[in-house]
Amino acid sequence: MANRTVSDAIAVHGTNPQYLIEKIIRTRIYESLYWKESCFGLTAETVIDRAIELTSIGGQYGNQRPTEFLALVLKLLQLQPAKEIIIEFIRQEDYKYLRALGVFYLRLAGTSLEIYQYLEPLLNDYRKMRQRLPSGDFDIICMDEFIDNLLREERVFDTILPRLAKRHVLEENDELPPRISALEDDLEDDLPE
Amino acid sequence: TVDEETGKVEVDDTDGLDEQAEYEAWKLRELKRVYNDAEIFNDDLLFDFKSRENEREEIERRRQMSDEVRFKEDLERARKSREEKSKGKYR
Repeated sequence: MANRTVSDAIAVHGTNPQYLIEKIIRTRIYESLYWKESCFGLTAETVIDRAIELTSIGGQYGNQRPTEFLALVLKLLQLQPAKEIIIEFIRQEDYKYLRALGVFYLRLAGTSLEIYQYLEPLLNDYRKMRQRLPSGDFDIICMDEFIDNLLREERVFDTILPRLAKRHVLEENDELPPRISALEDDLEDDLPE
Repeated sequence: TVDEETGKVEVDDTDGLDEQAEYEAWKLRELKRVYNDAEIFNDDLLFDFKSRENEREEIERRRQMSDEVRFKEDLERARKSREEKSKGKYR
């Protein structure tokens, strides 16, 4: 029971949302102590308590142990909370690791349009996050670098990211306005008169 | 500080220790992003423009020919494309 996707979940990208995390990693998460001890019986609301306790993000480390971050991502995929809840995770500014969790979930389960809409503004968030490297060591990654990776890379934290439509295609269809960098004003100021 | 469990050195994720430096580092990354996006956009645009230009030139060139010459060119092209295709084993 505990590992099953909620019964009224809607297929994401044509599949059970939990399958967005590869089987082998999923299995490792199900077997991890953190999943059994801290993720059992969570709901979309109580996940928040776990998420604000997070002190790092990352994929697998050491002897291919999944991070707590990845376990919570899987939990969200299992629960499939309402979009508004995820967007609230992303909008709030007090807990950067909760934001990172919402962002990663949206990148996996959201549409291309939503991803650009909600992720791109965070390219202006340069708060520091601890990232667990495969070696088990930590280093610092800023929120905007994390977002940039999610928008460009095919694989982040040992997870294959679903295909993202090209930005200019969405722009040509009038679904998305061109991105205006927060530096735009600065850039214009730098130009000679 | 060192993590008791793993013995690894912990890194500090406190923000605003050096607000100016953190902002400058971000500014540099952001500039790079803006620059790269523009670069990609221009490359796409240039590619589109070039292929359209080639097509226009080709149409113009063939318009200049007499029907006879054009037909000869078509035959020649058909022969070449037949040769390029690999032949099946049983023929």
